[in-house]
Amino acid sequence: MGKKNIGKKIFIGLAAGIISGLFSTGGGMILVPAFIYLLKLDATKARGTSVFCILPMVIASSIFYYKGNYIDWKVAILCAVGGGIGGYFGAKLLKKLPEKIMKFAFLGFLIYASYKMLT
Amino acid sequence: MAEVFIGLISGIVSGTGMGGGTILIFLLTFFSGLEQHVAQATNLIFFIPTSLVAIIVNLKNKNIALKSAILISIFGILGAIIGANISINMDVGVLRKCFGVFLAIIAINEIISIVKLYVKPHKKSKNINTK
Repeated sequence: MGKKNIGKKIFIGLAAGIISGLFSTGGGMILVPAFIYLLKLDATKARGTSVFCILPMVIASSIFYYKGNYIDWKVAILCAVGGGIGGYFGAKLLKKLPEKIMKFAFLGFLIYASYKMLT
Repeated sequence: MAEVFIGLISGIVSGTGMGGGTILIFLLTFFSGLEQHVAQATNLIFFIPTSLVAIIVNLKNKNIALKSAILISIFGILGAIIGANISINMDVGVLRKCFGVFLAIIAINEIISIVKLYVKPHKKSKNINTK
C-alpha cells in the first residue's frame, strides 16, 4: 500500500467515525465496502479489519453517551452476555457461511427495519 | 432474559462483521421499548466485549490488515467524537428518522453490491469461455 492511500484512509476513518458516533453502529457498513473497493482488500480481511477499527470509535462514542446519561447498565450487561457468546460463534461462521446467504438475509432485515423506523 | 437473547442474535451477526448493531438497536427499540439514544448507547457497551472476542478470533485467522487499521482508527476516533456529540444533542424523533434513512441507504448499497458480486462475475466468466 503506497502513500497515495493515506488520504483515502483518513477519509474512510473520519466518515466511519462520524456515522459510528451518530448512530453507534454502521461504521462497518462504511468500512467493509471502502476496504474492498478503495483499498482492494478481500471480503474476509475487510470484515476482520473493520471490527478492529470500530472498537476505538465505539470507546470514544461511549464516553459521550455516558456523559449524556444514556447508558442503561442492566440492559447493556444482559445484551453483552449474549453478545460475547454470539460474537465467538459469529467470527467462526465468518469462515464457513456463504456470503450470498448472509447478504440476502441482511438485506431483508434492512428493508423491514427502515420501513418500520420511517413509518 | 429477552435482552440476553437479543444480544445473542446480534452477537452472531456482529461476529460476521455485518452490522449486528443495526439489528440490536432495532430489536431493543421495538421489543424492549428502549428510547433510541439508550438503545444506541446499549449497542456501544454491547459492542466492546463482542468485538474483543471477534478481534481475537480474526487475529488468529490473520483476517486483519493491521497497518491500515491503526491509521483508520486514529481518524475514526476523531469522527466518532464529532458524530456522538451531534447525536446526543439531537431530538429523539429526528434521530429515529435519520436512522431509518440510514438503514434505507445501506439497503440500497447492499442491493448494488449484490448485483456487482453475483451478476457481473457471470458475464466475465462467459467472456473467458468464449476466448
